[in-house]
Formats: sequence, structure tokens, C-alpha cells
Amino acid sequence: MTGGRKLLGHVALLLPPFGWLTLFYLGSLFILLLSAFWQVDPMSGDVVHDWTLDNFRLLVSDATYRIVAQRTIGIAALVTVTDILLAWPLAYVIARKVGPRLKLTLLVLVALPLWSSMLARIYAWRLILGHDGVLNWFLRAAGLPGQSFAFTNVALWLVFSYLWLPFMLMPLVSALERIPASLLDAAGDMGATPWQTFRTVIFPLAIPGMAAGSVFTFAVTLGEYVTPMLVGGAGSEFIGNVVYANVGVSGNVPFAAAFSMVLLVVIGAYMLVARRFGAFEGA
Amino acid sequence: MQDNATTGAMAVGLSGLTKSYDRGRPVLKGIDLEICPGEFFTMLGPSGSGKTTTLRLIGGFELPDAGQVTLLGRDVTRLPPYQRDVNTMFQDYALFPHMSLRDNVAYGMKIRGVGAAERTERAQQALDMVHLDAVSDRRPSQLSGGQRQRVALARALVNKPKLILLDEPLGALDLKLRREMQVELKRIQKQTGITFVYVTHDQEEALSMSDRIAVFSEGVIEQVGTPQELYERPASRFVARFIGSSSILGGEHGCAILLRPEDVRMEPHGYTPTPDEDILPGVVEEIAYLGPVTRCQVQRMETGACVTAMVPSRTARTLQEGMAVVAVWAKDVAYPLPR
Amino acid sequence: MKGFTTALLMASCCTALVAQAHAADLPGAIGKGEGDLNVVAWEGYADDAWVKPFEQQTGCKVHRKYVGSSDEMVALTRMGGGKGFDVVSASGDAALRLIFGHNVQPVNMSLIPAYDDLMPELREPSFNTVKGVHYGVSYEWGPNILMWNTKAFSVAPTSWAVLYDKAHAGAITVPDNPIQIADAALYLAHVKPELGITDPYELTQPQMDAVVALLKDQRALVKKYWALASDEVDLFKSGDAQVGSAWPYQANTLRAAGVPVQDTIPTEGATGWADSWMISAHAEHPNCAYLWINHVMTPKVQAQQALSFGETPGNTKACAEMDAQQPGSCKQYHANASSAYFATIKFWKTPMKACGNGQNTCLDYSAWQRAWQQVKQ
Repeated sequence: MTGGRKLLGHVALLLPPFGWLTLFYLGSLFILLLSAFWQVDPMSGDVVHDWTLDNFRLLVSDATYRIVAQRTIGIAALVTVTDILLAWPLAYVIARKVGPRLKLTLLVLVALPLWSSMLARIYAWRLILGHDGVLNWFLRAAGLPGQSFAFTNVALWLVFSYLWLPFMLMPLVSALERIPASLLDAAGDMGATPWQTFRTVIFPLAIPGMAAGSVFTFAVTLGEYVTPMLVGGAGSEFIGNVVYANVGVSGNVPFAAAFSMVLLVVIGAYMLVARRFGAFEGA
Repeated sequence: MQDNATTGAMAVGLSGLTKSYDRGRPVLKGIDLEICPGEFFTMLGPSGSGKTTTLRLIGGFELPDAGQVTLLGRDVTRLPPYQRDVNTMFQDYALFPHMSLRDNVAYGMKIRGVGAAERTERAQQALDMVHLDAVSDRRPSQLSGGQRQRVALARALVNKPKLILLDEPLGALDLKLRREMQVELKRIQKQTGITFVYVTHDQEEALSMSDRIAVFSEGVIEQVGTPQELYERPASRFVARFIGSSSILGGEHGCAILLRPEDVRMEPHGYTPTPDEDILPGVVEEIAYLGPVTRCQVQRMETGACVTAMVPSRTARTLQEGMAVVAVWAKDVAYPLPR
Repeated sequence: MKGFTTALLMASCCTALVAQAHAADLPGAIGKGEGDLNVVAWEGYADDAWVKPFEQQTGCKVHRKYVGSSDEMVALTRMGGGKGFDVVSASGDAALRLIFGHNVQPVNMSLIPAYDDLMPELREPSFNTVKGVHYGVSYEWGPNILMWNTKAFSVAPTSWAVLYDKAHAGAITVPDNPIQIADAALYLAHVKPELGITDPYELTQPQMDAVVALLKDQRALVKKYWALASDEVDLFKSGDAQVGSAWPYQANTLRAAGVPVQDTIPTEGATGWADSWMISAHAEHPNCAYLWINHVMTPKVQAQQALSFGETPGNTKACAEMDAQQPGSCKQYHANASSAYFATIKFWKTPMKACGNGQNTCLDYSAWQRAWQQVKQ
């Protein structure tokens, strides 16, 4: 009796948030899915509710969208690998090599940029990489030839790697912190050199941390459109930019929805992979 | 083990080891120790006495500030763990959570490049020895504490090292399981002939399992000896107090004597001792019924001197707290403590 | 005019859409201002210089939203069912889309005194007047120019060819806008007459293929496609771009900031815009909207707008006002001989299936949008 009432209480407690989520989140996802099969009248801009696969047909037949999708996924993957490489040494030092006070200082320094506006940080990179920017100023002062990374995919790669590094670093630090020191002793005890210990114990145990970090570096990069708009150049369009152009500029929501579905499928598939590697297992 | 004995090299030799952390308090103040091959050797002491640090220096997990560590006559003081032929059973077992039990046990072989087939077979045998062969595909997280402990043992044994270090391996187990594992560990040690260096703070465990024991206190070794030697002829008050229960009386010329409670008997008030006996007249301060025996504390009001007796419960029925009695012991059981 | 034929064709196929336009629906007088006015406009089209006096005179508080392309303008005015704005400064290519999308309402020209002073070409142009019904008041117009940094060019360029020249790889910027295809078409019409391009907004598939191929080659040379005028200004300021397609507005802004830029209308001619102020079909502040249009059509504001943006006023009486504000500027911006100059500019219009020659083989704007996406990749 009381058990039943208790259950009823739980349900009542969960109903508002879940109902809300279902209605707004799944509801809008459903509408997105639906509208991908509609079309827009080019002159009036009205959505025509006739079922059609034209949007998907165009996505498949026009190489442009494959190129954009490949670029998006490619850069997201490159950013992920870059951030993993950049985060490892720093995370290792923070997690296992320094005292608690220095650790706190370093973590605050890592998190510090997150308290400033992302747009400001992206613009800062424009100032650094620009033709008459800070980097070239130093290069020229050193008698070296100037770079022209501004508004290229290289700039995009640099800025993304910079933006998401803290998000790779933090979960990696916490994954490394959670490895008991005795495991490393045990590996050495059984004959593993420090490198072998890293390869067979530390690295595998840090995989969930890297997977959690990659949710930002990979999945969030996939859905980005602001950074490509600001620091990308000709040939830096992301899926998000095409979606944005179709919604905010062309008013072609159905086509935007169709391309978004592609993004959604890629991100969904990636989340499953990340979960498989323990990205979402408790901190 | 035989060849070690013929060469005469000690399984472990420690000389003049010192160690301190954070430029502060010294943890080890000069440890000298020799452990014979095939011995079940226990390092006993309260927490913070330096026994675990000593173990870690033998294993190579830490380096001493000064002094020398030799294993089978070889100086390994500066060698990292992976260059020492030693295996360790850690207090928290230190099983790799991302590997199956079999892979945990086979880890050392894999590192040393043993072939996959041999690895699997030997790991399976080792798990068989600790009765876990049926669950070798599981992960450590799927095991109970006792099972994990046995995996850790299998992992330490499978490489057939000359020496196994055990860092309070039974600390997390309940009493019954603990007793079983004590017997099991002792059996395996005898069977394999591997030198065991065992760290514990449990004196009963140490007495029941060890061939020899080193008693640690505040970074020094108070005494090394067989369980009997430590119990019957403790080298210091600390050892006397730490091992077994005892009464210490101030003897003549300021020399203290040690009485074990099982050597003391109770007589009625007014008892006259024989020439071979010493007595302490006083009142019963406290009586504790322990089943087969009853513990009884007698205090002499004038001096405050106190003696504990352990008497068969049958003979203790008449005793009551506050009763005037005489505690009696044979003169030759009173052991004069060294200064 | 060819554009007029097009409009007729469109009007005939979409009569049902515009049938609601009756004189009876038009307001007969301008009432008191409602206190607010929501403006969607090109950057630089709602400057404080004339917004502040307007607010003081009418009590209509102006809320501005700037856009960088016609597409953006159309998208913005259609958001929320068109209730988010009262007036919009639509260029020719956006205006027709807004008319056929029911986004704007007819304007009663008898309430616009300056209408009589408009140059004849702008009184009922095909891009804002359908079947004799006025949907907008022609405002100002101008060319898309070629702009360059004089530090990078010892000899002033005279042809759009510099934008397709590998010598300037990585220093070129062009607008991020499908209508930009017309610029390339205009250039190709001169260098490859065999393609038979007569109107840069009326392209068949083979002609479009040639234009896209040219633009794809150009992509490798482009530093960045600019979306907002301010983006292009930043690119020239930082030195990342040295030559590009621009509006006179950017050239004026950059010169004011001390960046040594020059601009010209190249020998091939130029595309350009002719803008109209249009009133939302769902305007919540129609009185303020009429008041606004009358304000910006006065010779004074017409001159201010022309000088600040670098374009030509629609109001013929603005010439004297321009010279008063900046001597010689009337002639400089062709406000004194506007008809001849007007004919040289290929004004933005929405590409449609119906070509001017009565054929239906041209590509409509959605095809242009797809083509532009292919160019940008």
C-alpha cells in the first residue's frame, strides 16, 4: 500500500520535468524530422507541406554537402586528436605531479578563459592571426616570413583546439586523479617499465576521461557555426553554417532540417561510441 | 631456495636505511635487517612506525635517503621496482579494473613477453590455486573483497618470485575470513618456499604466522626474533607491551620485571609464599570473565603497583572486586626487562 | 523594360496572391505616431544623424535591425509571421519576394509628398510596383564597386578581372551572397561573349555552370566571403584583404578610418541596388511607418543618406542639398544626371525561371542559392 503510494509520489515528482522534456525536446525533434520531408516555395518563402525526399536527394546528389560534411567531421576529429595530445602532458602534471596548492592554481588558470565571452576569445584570435596581427608582428620582428593563417581552416583548427582544450583537460585530469597510485606501483612491481605502465594501465584507465572530453571537442565542434563564420575563410563552411544560411538567410527550413538530421545521426552515433568507452560513467 | 642457502646470501638485507618525507619528521631512523631465504618474516608495529615504508623501500616504490637494500646479495638500492625480482600484494589489492582476473594474473608474464598460450595456462593454474578458476573472465569489480584478495595473491605468486611482499593484505577482511586466509597464506608459503615479508599491526596474526618478527616503533626496529623470543624475552618495554598482555613491575635497583598474566595465580589474603615465589598483596581492582579464563587485576594500594593474572575460570569463582588477595608467581618466570 | 515584362509574367501567375490589393484598403491619412517603429534595414540606413531628429519630431522610437544581404533581410522580415517589423529597406531582389510572400502592404502614394519629386525611373519600377499597385517607395540606389588598398596596387585596376587573378590570391574578398553570382555573370558576359549572357540575372543552366566554374576557381583566391559590411571593413583594416567587391559605404568608412583605399566602377559595368522602403503587411505602427518614409524622403535626409553611404538619391531635389552638405557631391554621385547613369547599372532583381526572352529556361533563385553553396562549399 505504502509502496504503491510511494511510487505514485515518485511519478508525480518526475512528471513535470519529464513531461516538459518530452514535449519540448522530443516534440521539436519530431517536428524537425517531419519538416525535413517538406519543401519551401522559393518566391513566397512559405513551407509547402507536400511529402518529398527532394531535400535528402539533393544532399546525396550534390557533392557540395558531402564536402561540407566531410570537412565538419574531419576538423572535429582533428581538433579532438589535437586536444588529446595537448591535454595529456598538462593533465598528467596536474593530476599526479604537483601539490594541492599548485594543482588548484593550475586548474583555475585552465578554467580562467571560460569566464570570458567565447566571442571575445574568438575575436582575440583574429587579432593574433591577422595579416597585421600580433603573431606576424613577432615573426617579422624575428626576421621570419609572416604567416597567413587568418580565415583559413588552419585558423579554424587552432581556434577550436584552443576553445575546447579545457573541456578535454578537466575530465582527463579527473580520470587520472582517480587512478589509485597502487595500480602504478603494482604494474612496476610486475616488471612494467614506466612507459609500459603508461601504455597498459594509465592510458586505458584514462579512456573514459578522454571520451568524456571528446564529447565537447568532437560533438560540440560538429554542431558549431559561429567559429567558422568568424575565423574561417573561403572553404570553411560547416554543416552548421549551411543550416544557419538556410534558416536565417534563405528561409529554407526544410532543407536545413534535412541537413541537421545528418548532423544529429553523426552526433548520436558518436555519443553511443563515447558511452561505450565510458564517457558518461560517474565522476 | 636451496641454492640461495648454499650461497649464503640473505633474501633481503637492509642496512642503515633512513627516510623522511617533506623535509620534516623522519619516518625511518636507521633500519638494519636481514631476512633469510624461505622465511615467513613479519614486520609488526603500530601505524606510523615505519613498517610499510620499509616494505616500500624493499619493493623499490620509494628510495631511501641513506642506506642500502640488497636482494639475494645484489645491491638494488637505486633500482626501480621493475628491475627487482619481487612481487607485492598491496593493501588495496591494486587489481587492474580494466582487465579480467586472468589478464590481471597474466599481466607480469605479458610484460615479460611470455607467449599467450603459456600465459593463459599459468594464470589459470594460479587462479585454480586460489579457487577462482571458474570466474577468471570476470572483472575485479564483480568480486567480493575476499575474492579480490585471493586474485592479488594469485597475481603475486604466478611469476614465482624469490620474494613476496605483503602489505597488510588481510586488513579489510572480516575476522572469520581473516583466520581462514592466515592459514591459507601460511600453507602456500610453506608449499612454495617463497620468502614472505609480511606487514601487519595485528600482533596475534604476526605470532601465529611468522617464522621471525621485527617489531617497529617510531622508525626503528625494537627487536627481531621468533614469536617465542619476542613473547618470552622482549627486548624493551615497548615490545613487552605491544606483544601479548603483561604486567611490568619496578624491580630492585630500578630494574623492571615483566610478568605474563598466565604465569600469575591468585591466593587468599595472608598466603605465605615458598622461597621460589614472589608475591604482590593487594585488592582485586577488576574482574573480566573471558570464557575459559578470567582476567583479574590486583593492585597494591601503598605503591600503586599492579599485576594482571589470567586464571582458569573455574578457580576464579570466589573472587570479587575489592577483595583482599595475593598475586603469586614463580621467581623464575619474572623476566627482567633490559634497560 | 525587361524587368517590367518579368513582373507581368510573375503577376499573371500569381494574381491570386496579390488580388487583395485594393485602393479601398489603403489608409486615407496619416494619424498620430504610435510611439515605436521597428526598422529592418541595410547597415548605414538608419543613422543617428536622421533617426534622432525623426524621433524628436514624431515621438516614434526607432528600433533597428541591420542586415548584410537581401536573403537575410527576407528571412528576418518573415520571422514571427512578419509581425516583428514595420518598415524595411528592401533592394530590388528582395522586394518582389516580399510582395509575393504577402510580407508587405500597398502604399498610398498620395500620402507621400516626395513621390512627385522621384526620378521617373523610380516612380513605378517593376521591383516595387505590381499591376499598378505601389508596394514601396523608391529610396536610393548605387553600384557595387571594386575597392582596393592603394598600398598593394601601384596601378589602379580598371577591370573586375583582378578579382579572378591568381596574383592576388589570399587577398581578395567578395560578399557572401548568392546574388554575387550576377557579378561573375556580368564579367563573363564581357570576356566570354560566346556564352550569350545578356542579363546577369537571367542565366540558363549552361551559363550558370560556366559562372560557377569561374567562381569556384575564385574561391581558392578568396580570403573570406564577407557577410556584413563591417566584416569587409575589418578585413581591409587588418590587411587580410587588399582588393574586393564592395559598397561605396565601406570605401567611405575605411577612408574615414585612415585606410588608403580607392574604388571604381570597372569597365565591364557594375551590378547595383535600388532600394525601396516597404511597410509590413502586419505593421503594428503604420502611422510611424508613413512618418518615417516621409522623413527619409526629404531632400535633406536623402542627401545625408547619399553622402554617408555613397549612393544616389531617388529624390531629384536632393542635389542642391548634397552640394550644400559637401560641395561637388551632387555631380560626384550622379544626382544631377541620374537617368543616363541609372541605365548603366544592372540592378539586383530576383532570378526567376522565366527569362526576359519569353523562355522558361532560366534558373530561379533557389537554384542560385544552391549554386552559391556549391561555390562556397
